[in-house]
Amino acid sequence: MLRVSALRKDFATVRAVDGVSFDVRRGEIFGLLGRNGAGKTTTIRMVLNILKPDAGEVFFDGRPFSDATRNLVGYVPEERGLYRKSKLLDTILYFAGLRGMMPSRARAEAQRWLDRFSLTPYAHRKVEELSKGNQQKVQFIVSIIHDPPLVVLDEPFSGLDPVNQILLKDILLELKQRGKAIIFSTHQMDQAERLSDLLCLIEQGRVVLSGSIRDVKRRYGRNWIHLEYEGDGTFLPMLPGVRSAQLYENSAEVQLDDDADPQAILAHIVGRLEIRKFELREPSLHSIFLHAVGQQETAA
Amino acid sequence: MNKTFVVARWEYLEKVKSKAFLIGLFLTPMIMIGMGVLPGLLAEKEDEETRVIGVIDVRGEIAPLLAKRMERYKLSNGQPNYLLLPVRAPAADIAASVREADERVERGEFDGYFVLNAPEAPDTVIRYFSKGAGDLRLIGRLEENIQAIYWERTLIARGIDPGIVSAMKPRVEVKSVKIGPTGEREETNFLKTFFSAYVFIMAMFFVIFTSGQLLVRSVLEEKSNRIIEVLVSSCTPSELMAGKVLGLSAMGLTQVGFWAIAALAIFARVGADVLPPVEQLLLMVVYFVLGYLFYSAIFIAFGSPVTTEQEAQQLNGYLVLFVILPVALVLPVMQHPDAGWVKVLTFIPLLTPTFMALRIPVQMPSAVEIVGSVVLLAVFTYVMMIVAGRIFRVAILATGKRPSLAELARWVKEG
Repeated sequence: MLRVSALRKDFATVRAVDGVSFDVRRGEIFGLLGRNGAGKTTTIRMVLNILKPDAGEVFFDGRPFSDATRNLVGYVPEERGLYRKSKLLDTILYFAGLRGMMPSRARAEAQRWLDRFSLTPYAHRKVEELSKGNQQKVQFIVSIIHDPPLVVLDEPFSGLDPVNQILLKDILLELKQRGKAIIFSTHQMDQAERLSDLLCLIEQGRVVLSGSIRDVKRRYGRNWIHLEYEGDGTFLPMLPGVRSAQLYENSAEVQLDDDADPQAILAHIVGRLEIRKFELREPSLHSIFLHAVGQQETAA
Repeated sequence: MNKTFVVARWEYLEKVKSKAFLIGLFLTPMIMIGMGVLPGLLAEKEDEETRVIGVIDVRGEIAPLLAKRMERYKLSNGQPNYLLLPVRAPAADIAASVREADERVERGEFDGYFVLNAPEAPDTVIRYFSKGAGDLRLIGRLEENIQAIYWERTLIARGIDPGIVSAMKPRVEVKSVKIGPTGEREETNFLKTFFSAYVFIMAMFFVIFTSGQLLVRSVLEEKSNRIIEVLVSSCTPSELMAGKVLGLSAMGLTQVGFWAIAALAIFARVGADVLPPVEQLLLMVVYFVLGYLFYSAIFIAFGSPVTTEQEAQQLNGYLVLFVILPVALVLPVMQHPDAGWVKVLTFIPLLTPTFMALRIPVQMPSAVEIVGSVVLLAVFTYVMMIVAGRIFRVAILATGKRPSLAELARWVKEG
């Protein structure tokens, strides 16, 4: 569906994106991960043909991006906004028209989405009269009303309340089931972990990690302990056989040296902490992220 | 559906449906008419009751003559407008008369009063004392009539019949007649010429300015809430820009068109003939369209990099200068439509539409000048549009610091 190959973009003195490549297929959710400023938004803008890449190409079903393919994508930008003084339905129909929809079909689809999001009573109200949550729903309708095969969302979960987060997650999964290709960027690893089939971690404009969630986890999958406890766990990183440890409030993710014995570690901990849970398992994406970014920094 | 048209339609409908547009549609002409006509109307409002005016006439010779002359001013109900009352006091004691007159003004018996001295030494300055700031029309009438009395008396004193003197003052009027291309004579009417040219220029700059400002504002809004990203992922920046220019100019034309029809309807009723001939009108439309597009490109080039409302306002200040410059030259050009400097300046694209609008009704410029200026303006407009488009493409995604002129130049070059 979408092939991104060796994209590069320089801004004045900074190389924002450096050789980013990935593929997204229909029916897949692709997570573009990275810290703020890692190059996610710039990559997305090049994918959408908003920015011209300095090098590299974007193929859409094997063809380069063109005016015709513009109507095949839906885009929710990171900072969201709408025409505040305009009426809801008018706004939706405008964007539908911009994506090449015929007015009659646009009207029917708009009605369907408004119903789905319980926004029908507001159809003839001005956008500014809506609550923030409702405005975000409108933003979403505007981006996918033309039923595009590729949906790109830049930080879609930021600023959403928990109810709307679930609503968005359900819709993304539904789109996936209907065979749409979905790209979303995020710096919240738990979201990525729950939703994406494939991921690509960008740091300082470069891909430092990519593949399916399962592959990535398997790659990092040995020697991780998930620990829940009462007490002060600050000594954990210093234990012999521990390579690193992420400490949270009453829990920790501990990475062991390759030859370390989990039982030996457990023996060290017993007595010093009141252990609630001790589990050998795959690391969380969060830990992988920190690990990968950390390596990148040491390398740099 | 063409996306340029989708954008144009949106920009047009959103603006035309807004309350601000409706209010502006009716309020602007009302304010303009109000400012132009109301003060005059108010100043010319007739008195509703007779005004009593005190006269202290030291020799008692002028006041009766003046009272007689002032009788011709009547109120709408036929009553005299002014009643001149001599203030009687012991002949030599002017100070006492003044005191009495002051008191009567104070009591409201007099509207005001004035003092006339001896006719042998006619007063050059007469002071009208009243409680208010004085009534311009009354002052004018007093001046005119007192002057006439002094004049007559002087003539009589020298043994000349005033009737002969008035007969010796013939009225002469010089009328200018325009020789048309086929030799026909047409009495020119400066007001008519002025009107058609001036209205054209005002209408053009009104459309340029309102739609230009709206353009800057709409880009600014889309940039600040990031709609622009969704827009340029749906259509090309050129389509977006063209759509905005089309939509907003259509809005400006709707406004001006509405006023024009209203004005023509009024003129038709009154029977005034203000429309220039058709061929002039068509030529002016050509200049209007090209001039409008040229200015739009300027607004886009300088307006799209703006990132804050404050900057937008500052920028509008500068852009006004571009607009005012040609307007400031309106009168000199109308007086010398054929002067060498006017012909030369006509070829500066910024001035072409205004200068041509001024010259065409007065004296049709030569075909060479018309074709040359149209072609030159069209070429410049085209180049400006390309420059504006390149700036627009980069500027719409730029936020934060306003780009320097050097950066703008780089965007244009790299485009």
